[in-house]
Amino acid sequence: MGKGSKDKRDLYYRKAKEQGYRARSAFKLLQLNDQFHFLDDPNLKRVVDLCAAPGSWSQVLSRKLFDENIDTDSEEKKIVAVDLQPMSPIPHVTTLQADITHPKTLARILDLFGNEKADFVCSDGAPDVTGLHDLDEYVQQQLIMSALQLTTCILKKGGVFVAKIFRGRDIDMLYSQLGYLFDKIVCAKPRSSRGTSLEAFIVCLGYNPPSSWIPKLDVNTSVDEFFQGCYFNRLVISDKLSHWNEEERSIAEFMACGSLESFDSDATY
Amino acid sequence: MKDVSHYGPALCTKFHNDYVLAGYGPFVHVYDYRSNTLISKCRMFHKNKVHGISISAGEEVLAYGARSISVVRFEDILKNESLVDSEKINSDWVTNGEFSSDGSQVYLLTCYNKVLICDLSCEVLSSKSLRGERSILYSGMIKVFAPDKVYISAGTVMGGIIIWDLFSETKIHNLLGHEGSIFYVTLSNNGSFVASCSDDRSIRLWDLDTGEELSVGWSHTARIWNLKFFDNDTKLISVSEDCTCRVWTVMESQKNITELSISNIYDVHLSKNIWGVDVKEDDMIAVTSGNDGRLKLIDLHLERHGDEETSFNLDEISQQLDIVFDKNETIKGFQGFSFGIVIITSLGKILQFRNTTKQWKLLLTDENFVAYSITNGIQAQNIVVFSNNKKDILLIRFSENGDEVMHVEQHHTTELSKTNNCLVTEYDEHSFLLTLESPNPRDKLLCLEIDFQDLKIKTKHCFNKPENFASSCLASFQNFVLVGSRFSTLAIFNLLNDDDEPFIIRRLCPGDTTTSIKFVENKNDSTVFSVTNRDGYYDFIELTKSNCESPHPPFSYKILHSNKMMKGFLEGAFFNSNGEYITYGFKSSLFYLYNETNCYELASEVCGGAHRQWKLNNVNDGHILMYIKSSRLHLRKMYHSVFPETLEKGIHGREIRDISICPEASADTDGNFKGGHIFCTASEDTTIKLGYFDNKTGRIRNFWTQRKHISGLQRCRFINEKLMISASAREELFLWELNDKYDKRPYVTIRQTLPTSTNNPDLRIMDFDVKFVSQSGDFILITVYSDSAIKIWYYKEEENKFELITEGRYKTCCIFNVALVALKNQLFVVISPTDGYVVIYNVTEYVPFTIDVTSGDLADNKLDTLVSGLPMPVLQLQVHQSGIKSLDYAVDTMRTSAAILTGGDDNGLGLSYLTLDAVNTPALKASDFIDSAASSTITSGILINGGEEAITTSVDQIVRAWKITEGKLTLADEKYTTVADTGSLDIISNNDNTEFDKTLLIGGVGLSLWRK
Ligand SMILES: C[S@@+](CC[C@H](N)C(=O)[O-])C[C@H]1O[C@@H](n2cnc3c(N)ncnc32)[C@H](O)[C@@H]1O
Repeated sequence: MGKGSKDKRDLYYRKAKEQGYRARSAFKLLQLNDQFHFLDDPNLKRVVDLCAAPGSWSQVLSRKLFDENIDTDSEEKKIVAVDLQPMSPIPHVTTLQADITHPKTLARILDLFGNEKADFVCSDGAPDVTGLHDLDEYVQQQLIMSALQLTTCILKKGGVFVAKIFRGRDIDMLYSQLGYLFDKIVCAKPRSSRGTSLEAFIVCLGYNPPSSWIPKLDVNTSVDEFFQGCYFNRLVISDKLSHWNEEERSIAEFMACGSLESFDSDATY
Repeated sequence: MKDVSHYGPALCTKFHNDYVLAGYGPFVHVYDYRSNTLISKCRMFHKNKVHGISISAGEEVLAYGARSISVVRFEDILKNESLVDSEKINSDWVTNGEFSSDGSQVYLLTCYNKVLICDLSCEVLSSKSLRGERSILYSGMIKVFAPDKVYISAGTVMGGIIIWDLFSETKIHNLLGHEGSIFYVTLSNNGSFVASCSDDRSIRLWDLDTGEELSVGWSHTARIWNLKFFDNDTKLISVSEDCTCRVWTVMESQKNITELSISNIYDVHLSKNIWGVDVKEDDMIAVTSGNDGRLKLIDLHLERHGDEETSFNLDEISQQLDIVFDKNETIKGFQGFSFGIVIITSLGKILQFRNTTKQWKLLLTDENFVAYSITNGIQAQNIVVFSNNKKDILLIRFSENGDEVMHVEQHHTTELSKTNNCLVTEYDEHSFLLTLESPNPRDKLLCLEIDFQDLKIKTKHCFNKPENFASSCLASFQNFVLVGSRFSTLAIFNLLNDDDEPFIIRRLCPGDTTTSIKFVENKNDSTVFSVTNRDGYYDFIELTKSNCESPHPPFSYKILHSNKMMKGFLEGAFFNSNGEYITYGFKSSLFYLYNETNCYELASEVCGGAHRQWKLNNVNDGHILMYIKSSRLHLRKMYHSVFPETLEKGIHGREIRDISICPEASADTDGNFKGGHIFCTASEDTTIKLGYFDNKTGRIRNFWTQRKHISGLQRCRFINEKLMISASAREELFLWELNDKYDKRPYVTIRQTLPTSTNNPDLRIMDFDVKFVSQSGDFILITVYSDSAIKIWYYKEEENKFELITEGRYKTCCIFNVALVALKNQLFVVISPTDGYVVIYNVTEYVPFTIDVTSGDLADNKLDTLVSGLPMPVLQLQVHQSGIKSLDYAVDTMRTSAAILTGGDDNGLGLSYLTLDAVNTPALKASDFIDSAASSTITSGILINGGEEAITTSVDQIVRAWKITEGKLTLADEKYTTVADTGSLDIISNNDNTEFDKTLLIGGVGLSLWRK
């Protein structure tokens, strides 16, 4: 079953075309928002969209912030979108072509925000799938960790972080790590995401890092070193190989998003 | 629960002396590759997979994979089943590992471009990195040139390849040119070259000194995963997602230009992905390891036997022999023998070439065979046979070593008006059969029995030639001659009675020329033949002798097995000495020899295609392909490999979506399939494999790979001990019939295809269930679809037909599962759609049967069959938040209630009960729900022991056993499985009085056999 040909027959694909979205992914964000309403906050001003190409999430953000929410002062609003791939322009969105795992990229994004904090960070990142399940899952988690690294430097307390995950073998380890940084973690599956795929989204509500921990970005420290002292890191001292031990795992609450009346992405119409 | 055996992807492989090491999940397997024996199977890691192996001169082994590493002694791997206590964990993924020059340290490259220098007990001594360059890597290599010269090549996702010096921590080059992520980089031993590959499917060769791009190699049709320089850095070997292994030559031309050119392609694994490759240079063999779990050895030394390929034209022969050929004289025919070949020219010159002397010899010239001749031979007897269109045949027998002509005989026949075709086949210990055919349809088919020794005609038969018959291949069996013809026809003639009308089988398959007929095996009164057809089909037919006195017809026949080759023309097939089915034919301009049992190419030759004059003959140590191309006669020997062809045969290359174990081997097998079970697997790769597992050893043997489906499989299930159903996208559903009564192998063929309703290629049959009419082979089949459709069919065995009896639709969402549940005298349909509901229909009145209250089977009370619409559901209950991935049920002994086990995308496991009260009113109640029964989607779940226990598998790779007491689920056991994308499960009782009474098959990317 060619993925390409399937997409074209998909109802969400047609709907995306009708509504001027660049990808059917837009509906995933919209359905997540239907459930959690994180984009309906009138105070929402500054957002970061990581792994954004071709840009349908940025389109949703742009419409929410600038078209629907016209009361607030648009001077203060800002959308930054980052991807490895080039992206054609979207109104009100600053785009950056860069690797989010490269430490310099995070520094560049921070620069764009100056001293301001962001209200919302999302990442729909997906690596080149190799077919080596463990590697694919790992790289996916590293994209999330890079996104999280940025998030901890830029997100205001109480802010929201949303990221795509693949619910593979080690996903429960990620859940337990996120638990140290947010008040509530939900694993959400929008109906527009196929039930036959492992894709889901973690919705992290109420950013609330340990008070003793101050995130500090340095281009030469690793993600692991970065999260030292946040207690959710696996190793206390870097550069030491540990013995094998079962790592802390926990299971996040699961929530299906989008009403039952919305289209079923597994169905054939 | 205990795991017994595991089959799955091998991510890496490495030669070490006479051994091959391979990483299978968390294990390292060690094989002695010459004797093809698995010497050791040692668990290195608790959970992580072994992605790479490095071995030091001091016989220390470094294994790494994901965040795990381990350094152990090679001898310990040979001696131990597990070395997991040596496993160490790094905080980041380990991309590559190497020993230092003197073997006293190891270097570990992490996916963030950092190198840890450790001692052999894995204490980190220091760490090195390149400042500001720690973005994520898919690939990277450590190259140790000297104690103080170690280079790191890092393949980034965006910025190309960064090469840096480990000790000075300085950048040497940033090689830009590839598009997309870099998947492999390697440096040549001589320090001259860098080779790399990426998402863009090219291989690039760079100058390590200057950083200049030297050459780009295009040939692979998908991404490339691994590369290695060999043969003093003059060659490069690559393996890819396209399942081929390719050899490249690094050529330095005069103008100081270095180029990469493709020199060989080996089609060796199943789709998709070959991950690992290594070369043993002193033997010139390669080993590749793939996602299909196969370990394949490839002979890279084309001149190992010295004479793989030769070619001649008449000019060269003329010079050697000092005879003159006519200007227009051409080679007309040829026949291969173990001693060499025999050819005939258009002017009737017959010449012999001997392998030992490499000399040609003119044997004789025969005027009768000028212009038109057909060449045949009986290889085992060294007899060559020529025939012309004037009814003459010329026979020559050579001595065993071919040095002498032992006998020459000529016959002229008078029975036919003209002859245009001649075929030969061995008959008994003393003679062979030769058929002559005339273009005149009124002429008979002449068959001569000829003595091996004196080449005299012993008997002569004139058979009635069937209509529309043009003979193409021949076989004999007892007193019968089997003749294959065009239009997929087969005729069987009786040598004891020429006047008997032949027994004719027409249209065995869609219908080109029958290219070969081979005796396979017989049992009692039945005999099996393999029949190949040019259009790619092959069939195994069973001929059974009628046992009445003067029977007519003398036989009955049945197709036992049918399949189609992937592409191209199929010219013949045979079984090799290991009982593997070998096919040969053409794929565009290529001739191929293919191991069909294990699915890999044995040899191929670019010969220009099927329209050439060609012949394949057996010789002592293999086969010889002869063909004429630009008036040269080409001889290509295809030797039996001097090494084992595979060390591990492998399974599917992609996810196994469903598994089904055949309930039991039929009573008339002689114990061949008794110590275990026949089973089938349905995979995303669109094939179904039929295999067998041994209960005790857990060894799996594959018999057949069926290619009938053209889309990825969803389901396969044995519905009784001889029928199996498979279903996939494009509404494909096939009913298969298994035959396991023969000793060598089971056979399986399609009996019927379910009618389709649309041309929508996206319409998938998601699941099905059946219920048999008691004491009969009739059943009803229910199918559920991705467009919410539900259909009930009636299958009548005698008519071999599916008839639609009920049709309807749930809503608009996709339906994942269906079950037919009989309670008392009521029949229910249970479905689980993507909306998380369990939905029940009562279809008692919608099927033309009543329900047997004690067995739950259908009872045929001769009710009328009416086509009707599906009723409204009687009950609906939301059990899960989203899609229900697995559904199973168990009915209690009173047949008044059914436990329904559902596993969901929401990680939940639900237990509900469908019950019938005294007045037959159904109720559906949720009994228990475990909301985090797994940390990821539950993909399969089954109820066992009459619903007192359950087993589930989920994407988190944990197999869980549950106890069910008073409607409550409690976790009884959980165990990690190395099968990724765990998605399918089947279980069977062994009845073999061991402490474990059940065998469990778990499928996903790989296959595991467990005992419970
Ligand atoms: C599923 S797409 C995102 C779709 C997007 N949300 C939309 O709605 O149009 C995933 C993206 O992740 C990007 N990506 C993967 N790895 C990345 C990395 N290391 N840095 C930045 N982007 C990355 C890919 O280039 C790809 O465009």
